[in-house]
Amino acid sequence: MQAPAQDPRAPTGEPNRSRTWRWTALTGVALLLLVTIHMVAHHFVVEAVGGLRTYQHVLDYIANPVIFVIESIFLVVITIHAMLGLRSVLFDFGLSDRHKQLVSKGLVGLGVVTVAYGFVLIGVLASRA
Amino acid sequence: MSERRTEDQTPSGVEEILRVRSAEGPVERKSPGPTAWFDVRRRGTGHFAFSLNRITGLGLVFYLYLHLAVLSQLLGGEAAWNGFLETATTPLFLGLDVLLVFGLLAHGLNGLRVALIGSGFVPNRQKALFYTLMTFGAILLIYSAIHVFTAEG
Repeated sequence: MQAPAQDPRAPTGEPNRSRTWRWTALTGVALLLLVTIHMVAHHFVVEAVGGLRTYQHVLDYIANPVIFVIESIFLVVITIHAMLGLRSVLFDFGLSDRHKQLVSKGLVGLGVVTVAYGFVLIGVLASRA
Repeated sequence: MSERRTEDQTPSGVEEILRVRSAEGPVERKSPGPTAWFDVRRRGTGHFAFSLNRITGLGLVFYLYLHLAVLSQLLGGEAAWNGFLETATTPLFLGLDVLLVFGLLAHGLNGLRVALIGSGFVPNRQKALFYTLMTFGAILLIYSAIHVFTAEG
């Protein structure tokens, strides 16, 4: 079995990992925590309404400053992770360097639009509470 | 596109596919593209885990946008949201919730395995770690499925 290549910038002995891989892993680990909080808070805590919140429940929930911050971080982190994952999948098609650049730029744009729309959604709902 | 198809149909293209399929080593060397995710011939646990991560990942990206679209119903006010809630509590949609939990657990726990091994935090025990985490995930999935179908009011 061939030994993993060494990153010249990395300390001796550290496996070669690209910046993309590091960000994917970092956001992925953060998402384990954030998804757990999101799922438990939304669907497991509110037994009285069967795990689904009423309209007013949702507004009150999102207007809580702590929840607002957590959900905002969740939105940003999950979008970064999703775009990096999509990038890896698309790169599996064996794209040329030029097409890889186009895909990367396109995914940055899609990510920005996604986060912007999510913030508008969260902001509007929080303002209605 | 047609030029590439012609090239793949030549004997050298076939030989290249056969060569990468039989190659020893990491999954990526065997994979000529995403179609290889579904090719289970002469593949081990590593390939299965890799394919599972890719497929569940794509499913979760689709769900991310579906979730944003569903939450947009809230912008339509209480009536629009209540209409959605009636649909969301039907058995079919509860089943899709369980499918979502499956995707989250499979992708999350498998991703954790990749991150732990890839970063060097745990020794390279890919197969043992994969089966341990998937067993843990199966237990959580059963608990979640029971919760989803019994907590519905």
